[in-house]
Order: sequence, then C-alpha cells, then structure tokens
Amino acid sequence: MCSLTKHFTLAVLHLEHSNMTVEKNITLERPSNVELTCQFTTSGDLNSVNVTWKKGDTLLEDNYLVNATGSILYTQYRVAVIDSKQMGSYSCFFGEKKQQKGTFNLKVPEINGKNKPLITYVGDSVVLMCKCQDCLPLNWTWYSVNGSVQVPIGVPVNDKYVISGKHANETSLKITQLSEDDQGTYWCHAIFELGESEGHVELVVLSYLVPLKAFGAIVAEVVLLVTIILLFEMYTQKKKKPSDDGKEFEQGEELQGLENETRVKQVAIILMGQSNIC
Amino acid sequence: MAYRAEPPDGGWGWMVVLSAFFQSALVFGVLRSFGVFFVEFVAAFEEPAARVSWIASIGIAVQQFGSPVGSALSTKFGPRPVVMTGGILAALGMLLASFATSLTHLYLSIGLLSGSGWALTFTPTLACLSRYFSRRRSLATGLALTGVGLSSFAFAPLFQWLLNHYAWRGALLLVSALSLHLVACGALLRPLSLAEDPVVGGPGAQITSLLRHSPFLRYTVALTLINTGYFIPYVHLVAHLRDLGWDPLPAAFLLSVAAISDLVGRVASGWLGDAVPGPVARLLMLWTTLTGVILALYPVAEAPTGLVALTVAYGFTSGALTPVAFSVLPELVGTGKIYCGLGLVQMVESIGGLLGAPLSGYLRDVTGNYTASFVVAGTFLLAGSGILITLPHFFCFSAPTSKPQDHVTEALDTKVPLPEEGLGED
Repeated sequence: MCSLTKHFTLAVLHLEHSNMTVEKNITLERPSNVELTCQFTTSGDLNSVNVTWKKGDTLLEDNYLVNATGSILYTQYRVAVIDSKQMGSYSCFFGEKKQQKGTFNLKVPEINGKNKPLITYVGDSVVLMCKCQDCLPLNWTWYSVNGSVQVPIGVPVNDKYVISGKHANETSLKITQLSEDDQGTYWCHAIFELGESEGHVELVVLSYLVPLKAFGAIVAEVVLLVTIILLFEMYTQKKKKPSDDGKEFEQGEELQGLENETRVKQVAIILMGQSNIC
Repeated sequence: MAYRAEPPDGGWGWMVVLSAFFQSALVFGVLRSFGVFFVEFVAAFEEPAARVSWIASIGIAVQQFGSPVGSALSTKFGPRPVVMTGGILAALGMLLASFATSLTHLYLSIGLLSGSGWALTFTPTLACLSRYFSRRRSLATGLALTGVGLSSFAFAPLFQWLLNHYAWRGALLLVSALSLHLVACGALLRPLSLAEDPVVGGPGAQITSLLRHSPFLRYTVALTLINTGYFIPYVHLVAHLRDLGWDPLPAAFLLSVAAISDLVGRVASGWLGDAVPGPVARLLMLWTTLTGVILALYPVAEAPTGLVALTVAYGFTSGALTPVAFSVLPELVGTGKIYCGLGLVQMVESIGGLLGAPLSGYLRDVTGNYTASFVVAGTFLLAGSGILITLPHFFCFSAPTSKPQDHVTEALDTKVPLPEEGLGED
C-alpha cells in the first residue's frame, strides 16, 4: 500500500458551453492515485447543471465531488489505480442531456516497433527492436505469428533466437540463420503492472536470386546497347569504305602538304603574333 | 586516317553530348544521392555518420586526383577504351561493395575502385566533347552538364525505393548494374582526329608544355580560387537558413529551387557563350563576379523574400559559370591538348573544393554564424574572377581565335585549364 502514495497523477480538462468533446490521454506505468478534474464554464445557472461520471459505459456512483466557484463548475473524480482493471476511459458529463463531455483515457505506455518492413536475405541475421519513450516495463516478451495466432518465442532456448535489451526501455530480438520461413510479423509485448502494451515489426526475407535476376537483366541490356552501338559504327564505316579507298591515297598526300603548310603558317603566325596584341 | 581541320560542331557530336549527359548523371548524380545509403550504413555497421561520409569523400578525391591519369590515357589511346574501362571499374566497385562486411571494405570498393572508374570516365568525356564542338561548345557543354542536376532529382528517390525493396546489399548490386551504363556511354565516344593532334605530341610532352604555359597556370589558379568559394552555399545554405529560424522542409525546398535555377543557368549560359562573340573568358568573369557578389550579399538578407531571391540568383549564376568554365580551356590550350589540360585543371582545382567547405565550417565555429563564411567565399570568387582578366585576348572584341592553325603555334606554350566540372560537383 505504500507504493500507492508515491505517485499522484493530476489531470484537468476545461469545457466551454459548446458541443465539443474534449479528450486527454494519460499514460500510467505504475500503480498510483489518479485525480481527474473537469471544469465547466457557463453563463447559466450552475446549480441546475447535472454532473455525472462514467467509466466506459458504467455509471459511477461515488468517489466524486462537485464544487461551484463563481461561474465555474468543478467536478473531481479520484481513483486508486492498482491493476489493469482500473485502466480505461473515464468521462465527466455536464447537463441533463449530457451535452458536455470530457474524457480521460488511462493507458499504459505505447511501444514503438517499426513501421517499414525490414528487408533481409537468406542466411543473414537480423535484430528486431522495440522500445518506448520513458517507460520501465517489468518484462518483455516476443511473439511470432503463425496464421492468426501469436506464438511465443524463446521458450525452447536455442541459438536461433536471442532476446536481450541494453536498457530497460528497449528490447531486441536477434534471429540468426534466416530462412524464408522466418518471414512475417513479430510482436513485442511490454508487461506493466497496469497491463500490457504491444508493438510490431515486419520481417521480409528474400533470396539472393531476387536482386541477382534484376542485376543480370540490366547487365544483359548494357551488353546489348554496347553491341548495337559498335555494330552501327562498323556498319557506317563500311558504307564509307568503298569510296574512301580512292581518297585515302590523296589524303595521304594532302596530309603531307597540310603538315608542311602548317609549319610554314606556324612560323608566320609566331612572327605576326608578336606584333599584335589582339 | 583523315585529320579534320575543324571540329564537326554537330553530327555525331550530339551523340557525344548525350553520352556526356548520362555520364554526368551516373557519376555525379550517384555521388550526390549517395547520402541515402549512408543512413543504412550507419545502422548496418554501427559506425558514426562522420566515418561513413568518408566513403563519398574518398570517392570524390580519387575521381579528382585521378583525372590527369584518365586524361593522359585518353591522349594515348583515345577516350573510348578509357571510358569503357572506367565504367567497368566503377560498376565493379559497387558490386564488391554489396558484399561488404566492414566500413573499410566500403572505403576500398566504393571510394578507391569506383572512384578510379569515375576518374577514367568524366574528364575524358568532357574533353572529347570540347573537341567535337567549337562554335556551339558552350551550349553542348551546358546541355551535357544538366545531367548532374536532373539525375540528383531522380536518383535520390530511386535509391530510397531500392533500399526499401532490396535492403542496402541488393540496392548496391542494382546501382552497380546502373553504373555499368557508363560502358555504353563510352562506346558512343567515337574517336576524332583533329589537325593539331600530331603536332602536340604524347601525354608527357603535353603536360610539360602545359605546365610552362603561363595563361594555363593563371587559369588554373583562378579556377582553384573559384572552386574554393563555389560550394559554400550548397554545403551550408540549409544550416544558415536553420540558424535564421527556418523549418527544415522549406529550407530543403529552397535548395531544390536553387537546383532548378542552376539547371536553367547552365543551358542559358551555354547558349549565351556561343552567341556572344569574343573570348568566353569574359562571360566566365561576368558569372563569377555576379556569384561572388551574391554570396557577399547573403549575410545582409534577412527577410525570406530576399533570401529566396538571392538563392534563385545564386543557383542561376553558379550554374551559368560551369559550362563557360569548360569552354575557356580549348580557347587557351587548343583542342589538341584538351585531355591533359582538363585533367590537370580538375586535379588542381579540387584542392580548392576540398578546402572550401571545412574552411567555411571553421569560420562558422569561430564567429558563431555564417556571415564570415559567405563573405570569404564571395571574396574567393571575386579574386578568381580578377585573375581571369589577365588571360590573353581578354579585351579583344573580335571572334575568338580558336582555329587549329593558331593553336598549333600556341600548342607549345599554352595549356589552359578548363574550369572543371569540379566547380559544379560536390
């Protein structure tokens, strides 16, 4: 009973006279005393406003106070949360037709797995991780899914599955020697005094042939491209060749002439270049 | 074999443009989009992000410092076999990387092997392109370089999709197959023999004469200075915007806007470079000065509209200077020495690129904001453009004398470095 007085959670909701539903999420890990307060502001007559509390759909009879100060109506509900039975949604209602509603959702901390599937290959090993922001679960457990049933992992202790965790707020499942049967969704459960929370990670196991086939297809395409380009060039060269034979001889002579001409021009331009700037 | 007096300026040259387009995409587009893989590597090898980012750094460094090797080999054997070999090496590097068991493995396979492959492909291709065009050289270069920007848009989501479906090993395997298309691009590079080729000699002779050519050296220095300041906004813009209070999504969006205006700038400048008479170096100086001024104005702009306008302008001018930078080189050294010239320029200016970003980061750490970084970057650009004024024929109003005969005479004393794509590539 001592642990009950250590944690005291306060939560307040403000409601105006409008038809809105106000909600608040409260994260609880350990047993604690919880005090939920709703404030209702209206210009009308406060004494005629009917105040009720409900847990889920069940009307709550006691444990709540009603107080009016000025134009604000306060109501407060206290609950000692010991185990998962006290968790859930608590709502305060104002008015005969229960128009104004404020809801407190008492929940255990959420667990984050991974949203994107993890891609791995046959024979690899992989580490699946789950963690929560600021929580200290009592225990973590892992489940794999067979059909629609969750099967616990690690019950027969073997080398294939290793469950560990560096910090209390995270857990990791290492799977070695992956095969295609290991594909699927894995669930991690965090056990708190006040209930359980779960996250999931999806694992996809591919065989090496999958990217290899794509690789082979692209390499074949490149080889084809290169062949086409080179063949096209040989073809266009061949088309030129018959008429070139006669020209080549002339070009050889022309070349000699060109070189001589160039050398003469070189000398000329060097001489000229030294006299102009532009 | 017939030696042409003039570059063809079209015809098969457009196929070379196509080849260069895909090559820029496959080399720099892949490099730029590789960041997507880094997240996976950090998780898979449990190494910090700084160590993983060395993979790209090694790849870029090998590509840039290896450029002269690619150039020298192209001078000797022609660009086609060199580029095709480069493509095979690049793909092989990625293939081996898919079997990696440690980060060192990735440094060697992607960084060293693929980097060497990239060194053998990019520079020879751009040099080959310069040989195929003279009147429309800037436009052809500008069009080819748009491959970088467009591929960054396409490859980043593609790589993410590959990672989601095949995990990083399968994705690397498929990127390897993608890189193999460099071989097909290489096949398109038909050898071209120009009149000045027999005069300029083999690679050794060319490099020696280049190193004694004063305008070439001045050009290399100018480009190195420009390269130092050029990358700063790409590297630090998002961080600067975040400092000013921008959210990450609008900041990233602004970078995309800069990329689009970069593309437009490249093509527009390419067209302009050919349309305007006179040495192309003047246009380069114009764009460089504008970029420098814009960078210096960055710290002054506080309002979102001002920043957006500056970023669009920066994208345009920095994109505009890349094709022109490549076009200046043939005018300075002649198309005969272009392979070696380009290789040397790339190698030296990469020093600027490597120093620029860390220097800017250091200034930011020391002063607390990016004002000093941007101003220093702008200063480097202005200094570089100042040196450009000293290039020969700068103040001429006649058409540029890039006829082969003239280059034959100059061949022995000038090798102009081209502003390497290194300027544009990060």
